[in-house]
Amino acid sequence: MDRARQRSANPWLVLVFEVVFVTASETLLKVGASKTARVAGWEWTGLLALGSIWIWCAIGLIVLSFLCWIYVLRYIPLSIAFPLSNVVHVLIPLNCWIFLGEHISPQRWCGIAIVILGLAMVAKPVAKIEEQL
Amino acid sequence: MIPAHMTVLILVFTIEVTATVVGQLLVKHAMEGSRTVGFTHPRILKLFAGGVGALTISFFLTIALLQHFDLSVFYPIQGSTVVIITLAAVIFLRERLTPQLLIGALLISAGIVLVSLS
Repeated sequence: MDRARQRSANPWLVLVFEVVFVTASETLLKVGASKTARVAGWEWTGLLALGSIWIWCAIGLIVLSFLCWIYVLRYIPLSIAFPLSNVVHVLIPLNCWIFLGEHISPQRWCGIAIVILGLAMVAKPVAKIEEQL
Repeated sequence: MIPAHMTVLILVFTIEVTATVVGQLLVKHAMEGSRTVGFTHPRILKLFAGGVGALTISFFLTIALLQHFDLSVFYPIQGSTVVIITLAAVIFLRERLTPQLLIGALLISAGIVLVSLS
């Protein structure tokens, strides 16, 4: 008997948590990466960023998002879960627009709309998969 | 002639994308297997460790790319990983590819490129 039926949390809900953690960590990564100094010859490794507290907060969130992600992968096909996880590319610009007051150009709004359309196309057959589980 | 920093950029991007794809495939394969033989099975643990290793490499390369290259260069390539991982999952993990899934993945990639170029 498949152990998948013994699951305790809805994998689709866990995917939502994963996406929220990634959105928060990406924002912190950008802050931390911008603040760390450059030393010639080593900058390409990204290791110098470890000197920033923001990077460590981001790593904490990434660990949380990764735990959510492996739980998601236990139940949802990668070819569906991975495209859906890219909703972060909608959430991050919206996050910047709402909380950081950044401007979003019409072209960028079009891009966001196209991503949402793609997400809807990937998610539509999900209802059928869920019925089979 | 291609400038030296462009060569490094292309190389780092290639390694980053490859590490992401390989890492996701290995972790998915491990988690899929854990449903039947359990997570502590030696074969599952090896697959999982390999996947986490690859994703760790991709994580630090992502930071490096964020530090030194323009987001408008970085994100279109991030966007392309959607299509690559979807196809890789179909080819290597024998997941089902529907026309709707392929079009959806292509739209997401295209949308990410458009978001990052503007």
